[in-house]
Amino acid sequence: MRLVLALLVMIAAAPLRAQDPDPQLIRAADEVALAYVITGDARVDETSEAGLRGISDVLTDRTTVEPGQPIGIDLDRDDLSLLTFLYWPVTESQPLPTPQAYVRLNHFLRSGGMVLFDTRDGDIAGLGGPDGAEALQRLAAPLDIPPLAPIPRDHVLTRSFYLLDDFPGRYQGADVWAEAPPAGAEAAEGVPFRNLNDGVSPVIIGGNSWAEAWAVGENGLPVYTVGSGLDGEHQREMAYRFGVNLIMYVLTGNYKSDQVHVPTLLERLRQEEVIQ
Amino acid sequence: MTGLVFDPLLSWPLVAAVAVLAVLIAVWSFWRGLRGWPLRGLAGLAAAAALAGPALESGIRNKLSDIVLLLDDRSASQSLPGRVGQTDAAVENLTRQLAALPDTEVRRISVTDDPDGTLIGAALSRALAAEPQARVAGVIAVTDGLAHDAPMLPADAPAPVHVLLTGQPQDWDRRLVIEEAPAYGLIGQPVTIRLRIEDQGEVPPEIAASPARLQVTIDGEPSRSLDLPPGVTLDLPVVPEHAGQNVVSIGFDAPEAEVPELTTRNNMAALQIQGVRDRLRVLLVSGEPHAGERTWRNLLKSDANVDLIHFTILRPPDKMDAVPVDEMSLIAFPTQELFMERIRDFDLIIFDRYRVRGILMPQYFDNIRRYVEEGGAVLVSAGPEMSTVESLNLSPLGAILPARPTGRIYEEPFLPRLTDDGMRHPVTAGLPGAPSDDSETHWGRWLRMSQVLPERGSQVVMTGANDEPLLILNRVGRGRVGMLTSDQVWLWGRGFEGGGPQLELLRRIAHWSMKEPELEEEALLADVAAGLTVTITRRTMADTAPPVRITGPDGRTETLALTEEGPGRHSARWTAPEPGLYRLTDGEITRVIALGPAAPREFEETVASPAVLGPLVEKTRGGVVHLSQGLPDLRMVREGRPAHGRGVAGEWIAITPRGAASTSGIMHRPLLPGWGWLLIVAGLALGGWLSEGRGWPRRRAA
Repeated sequence: MRLVLALLVMIAAAPLRAQDPDPQLIRAADEVALAYVITGDARVDETSEAGLRGISDVLTDRTTVEPGQPIGIDLDRDDLSLLTFLYWPVTESQPLPTPQAYVRLNHFLRSGGMVLFDTRDGDIAGLGGPDGAEALQRLAAPLDIPPLAPIPRDHVLTRSFYLLDDFPGRYQGADVWAEAPPAGAEAAEGVPFRNLNDGVSPVIIGGNSWAEAWAVGENGLPVYTVGSGLDGEHQREMAYRFGVNLIMYVLTGNYKSDQVHVPTLLERLRQEEVIQ
Repeated sequence: MTGLVFDPLLSWPLVAAVAVLAVLIAVWSFWRGLRGWPLRGLAGLAAAAALAGPALESGIRNKLSDIVLLLDDRSASQSLPGRVGQTDAAVENLTRQLAALPDTEVRRISVTDDPDGTLIGAALSRALAAEPQARVAGVIAVTDGLAHDAPMLPADAPAPVHVLLTGQPQDWDRRLVIEEAPAYGLIGQPVTIRLRIEDQGEVPPEIAASPARLQVTIDGEPSRSLDLPPGVTLDLPVVPEHAGQNVVSIGFDAPEAEVPELTTRNNMAALQIQGVRDRLRVLLVSGEPHAGERTWRNLLKSDANVDLIHFTILRPPDKMDAVPVDEMSLIAFPTQELFMERIRDFDLIIFDRYRVRGILMPQYFDNIRRYVEEGGAVLVSAGPEMSTVESLNLSPLGAILPARPTGRIYEEPFLPRLTDDGMRHPVTAGLPGAPSDDSETHWGRWLRMSQVLPERGSQVVMTGANDEPLLILNRVGRGRVGMLTSDQVWLWGRGFEGGGPQLELLRRIAHWSMKEPELEEEALLADVAAGLTVTITRRTMADTAPPVRITGPDGRTETLALTEEGPGRHSARWTAPEPGLYRLTDGEITRVIALGPAAPREFEETVASPAVLGPLVEKTRGGVVHLSQGLPDLRMVREGRPAHGRGVAGEWIAITPRGAASTSGIMHRPLLPGWGWLLIVAGLALGGWLSEGRGWPRRRAA
């Protein structure tokens, strides 16, 4: 009887293994599609979708990265190993994902994926009133997140495509957090990060409501207003630039930090030629 | 050894008190005018003496025999012609003479070969320590004097040390001395071996004036020959041509002379120089940032031997935005410098999803093709762009790529599998977790690949969807090319469906293309274990491996069949009969291995010499006798006298009898028995009493 059961399990397991992944996910892997977490709040999910579509369009227009249509991820169901970047807007109402989902999330973070947590409260955070901090804590507690620190000015994120000194979204000025540089790493010129996942911080946390700044409607026009007048449009442009830098950072790691050393390497080649 | 000892019955103060009392009684008696006072006093003193318990003690002594240490050197240098006979004759003669001496024991010590040479010092120290110093009457060593452990020689010995030197006065030898040889060298960079020719002994004058003709071979191939006069130091530049062991053998032929040199075994040296590669320079060109880009970066940056120069096309020339240049962090791609001027500095160029979009000019691709044909390497990790008009195959580089795209792209999950060639090829052989028929678990799947037609002569080592080629390797001219027709190896790193050995696979592909010897398809490997045992492994892409022919240092050949151990691996274990240079060949690949020490230590110096043992001989007033002038007589002299001299009949050596003895017991005998003492004391007391006239004189008066 037990043998029959074991055989049944094997027969059941074999097709499970061979089950094809969701075609949407295959597409995401092929096209480097940006992904967002489906929170259950329809308005937030729509904004995420529109925001990622907006930044994908900007990337396609300006860079060699041409992401496909954004993809919504159900953390409880979907395999994250095909993804590279995950946008996670934090809402009060989102139910806690299952433990299995956290196992998948932790593996995703360890193997080189990145999650951008957006508390979308850059306008009210730190004023003492209710903000997204509590919800973020609730959602992120089971994750293996390294110690965090506000992004230092020499972080590669500030120059992975554009040169940036702030990371604005619909709001600006609030600190954005990433993996803290290890103690004493400041001395390492230009590369203040441990050589883990090619130095890519597994999470970026902020409250600047980036998806709202990036969002474009079906008609190709921005959905949300950012600031006011020309200043506001400048802020939106900077939000786009942050988005471009962020995706470049996810895809190329410390590439831009290394390029600091390329002239030195080439110089060394030249010198060796003189010596020989 | 006989003496008087006291064994008092009472403690010494009491005995003294008795003696004092006796004296007092005598004085008192004298004062009273008693005639018996001396007898009274003596009686008391005798009582005190009896209490002191005087006894005689004597030891039992045995005469001990003398010990003579007779050391014979049976090391390899003593096997030179004539020396064995000399040694045997001397040992036999001495044994006979020693046996004739009274009370003399002989301790024989034989010194044989040690990996560190002839260790006479250690043997002598050990033998002396094992014997009582007072009995050693002499040490006689029959040797050629070539001890390799001078610091271990005892500084002094309790008896004369004699050295009977083997060898002939006309002995001479010419040898090769390696003064300095590097163990490692960068491939292609000359390293310097410093050497000289040294003449020893009575070199015939016509030989001393003539230079030696040195032959230098590298890995069995004659490299150069030159004349070197003896005593001149030469710096010989040698270039390690490949990674791993480069066997450099240097030697000269024995000079022709009436009296041949002692041995030709020190006329040659085999040196092993480990070829080490300089840091490898890899140029990684990513056509666009994509999910797999960091996989390559992680691999190459974590490799301590690789200097990575990485360029990613972040913005194609046809896209512009209105952002001012000073707000952008983009730098120009120094194409002219990289692909025209510096290209030969790179060991490998990787095109990672590169699409031809007008950044690199056709002449650059043409130059890359030339670079590969002259020994460079190119890897193409292709995404779907390979099947478009922007394919690298449509550039001049396409002429050397190992496969042509058909334009079809498979967008379906597939399992990468090893082909039969792949099971053999070192790049893919033994990758952990490879799919096989008898295993349930296997690698994760990939999701997209391009269909290609492999070029003739290239090897398909992995297949993907529909068994279409996935990983193709080929050689072009002196260089190598590889192509991965999918860009999704990163899924293995992400652990999709369990993942796979992504870093190991990419590392092997990269290092194979850079000609890492461990990843050569056709290789004859000799793994030298301790001593003379070698594991010979033939790695091949063919089904069978021919037997290996081994040529030894003496020119004898031996044929060794190999047994199959796994796909493409055939091996056998073999033990060499003696140290030296062996050439292994299976018809296609030849390898030279050096077994044993570079030059046997025993034959570094061969002309017999008392230099090492001389100081000890002098210190103990012994003698050095050349056996070529006859066997010495053995005499006995007193300690401290010269123990070596020349008499009418010839030379003599002497041992010094030590007269040692041992005490085997002690006899303890009281001077007088108890009743004897009683008689004396009583006699004296009675005498005193009688002399005072208390006996019969009073009776006479009555």
